[in-house]
Amino acid sequence: MYDMSVTKIVEIPVVTTEVPIGPQHPALHEPVMLKVYADGEEVVRVDVNTGYNHRGIEKLCEKNTFYRDIFIVSRVCGICNAVHANCYVRALEQILDVTPNRRAKFLRVLSMELERIHSHMLINAVMAEIVGFETLFMQIMLDREKVMKAKEILTGNRVSADFMIVGGVRRDIDDVKKEKIKEILLKLKPRVEYYVKVFEEDETILKRLIDVGKINYRDATSHSFVGPPARASGVRIDSRASDKYDAYDEIPFNVVTRNEGDSWARMMVRWSEVMESIEMGLYILSNLPLDGNPVPDERRLPRKFPPGEAFTRVEAQRGELTYYVMSDGKSQNPYRVKIRTPSFNNIVNSAFMYVGYSLADVPVILTSLDPCISCMERVTVIDLEKGTRERIPFKQLSSGGKR
Amino acid sequence: MKRPKLLETVLRNLVSKPATIQYPREKTTIEPDFRGIQYADLSKCTGCSLCSIECPADAIKMTPIPQEYAVPKINPRRLYPLINYGKCVYCYRCVKVCPVNAYIVTSKYDIAGPTRYTSEDLSLKTLKEVKSQ
Repeated sequence: MYDMSVTKIVEIPVVTTEVPIGPQHPALHEPVMLKVYADGEEVVRVDVNTGYNHRGIEKLCEKNTFYRDIFIVSRVCGICNAVHANCYVRALEQILDVTPNRRAKFLRVLSMELERIHSHMLINAVMAEIVGFETLFMQIMLDREKVMKAKEILTGNRVSADFMIVGGVRRDIDDVKKEKIKEILLKLKPRVEYYVKVFEEDETILKRLIDVGKINYRDATSHSFVGPPARASGVRIDSRASDKYDAYDEIPFNVVTRNEGDSWARMMVRWSEVMESIEMGLYILSNLPLDGNPVPDERRLPRKFPPGEAFTRVEAQRGELTYYVMSDGKSQNPYRVKIRTPSFNNIVNSAFMYVGYSLADVPVILTSLDPCISCMERVTVIDLEKGTRERIPFKQLSSGGKR
Repeated sequence: MKRPKLLETVLRNLVSKPATIQYPREKTTIEPDFRGIQYADLSKCTGCSLCSIECPADAIKMTPIPQEYAVPKINPRRLYPLINYGKCVYCYRCVKVCPVNAYIVTSKYDIAGPTRYTSEDLSLKTLKEVKSQ
């Protein structure tokens, strides 16, 4: 029977709800977990939890020879394999004091720019899928296939290029292949222009992306964002322009920046970079130098590495990627290979961006940063006996594992 | 509300042929120099093990050639590189480092299947078989 003596009902308000987003594909199909604390629909705090995909590649590099590592570092990330290999190979070239010829440098840039095109198209397609616009996703992915074909013509494989070697590239292109790639890029250009228009005009996209996940110039620099997230907030950071490695000093291109700082601006920066990359690709194909064979004989490469260290950087699709390679001059293996990937900066520092937006905006903001989890994992040590967890700080990692 | 930008494309796609293909029945178009499976030509191979040492994926294992095969004199140790295609990453490092250019490259890529697939049959076919006593 209903107890009539109850006169008051006290409601205890739930201050925050913890919503785990991930680790099974939060936005992309990659394992990262965002612990979102929400007050109703509004996000009040986000914890970025990583550690689901640590593979110990840096240690693996120390256990293998310099040349085997070229192919191991290519597998750090599937989508940015050419830039990883390029950065590592240039570090080896600095240690060995080898310079590739101009044709090899141009071909390297071509492969990296093709990779930039397909990576940016992929993340824009995923963004369309995240906002619920699957038709656009399918359309962009269909056109991305053309770029994959161009990469297959140039390097021999759709994804894993394995194109870089010390002193040059691993295969040359002839006139037939050149024409084929040129045709693909010319076909792609109007399609990309069309997608830029869709992203500028379509209501679904504008409503979900504009003013979501805003970062201002100050925050972008103080949280050390790199790549398109920084450039969309007006930070003019691009190691292609500042370092002028490989043939970037000879190929004309513009550094694209925008001032809006929201998710939409980040996607538009990527589309503009795709347009720039297509122009660069066409320039390379029509101005490919003829100064000798770009393919070195891999049997005659130097076997002995002098002691020394090298620090190189490239502008990967997601931002600045740096490699530190050290050789002690005694063994066939590098003493230390240190990789710092752009996603590490962009994702780990991104927790502040989600605050104040609704729960539905979290995947959009995460996708707009173009997360690449496989390259950003760091170590967490769990002591099973004591049951403690310890995260190894960056300082300690950079000191070569010394405690 | 404005007319959606993609409407035209969507309507066109309703009547056009699908972009995807029925894969196992219809072959994918690939380039002739696509990096497919590779195997050693045992009439040239000297059994020097360089490809096995250089392989970044540890997919190549130097294996003794069975007794019933006649092996050329350049291969005194009677070893040949056995490639495990499940482990191979198709970087073609073995092809490039081979001192006698013994590797034969193909553009065959559809090798996924329920059984372990190695270069044993392909490589041994390049040798003449000797009849057992």
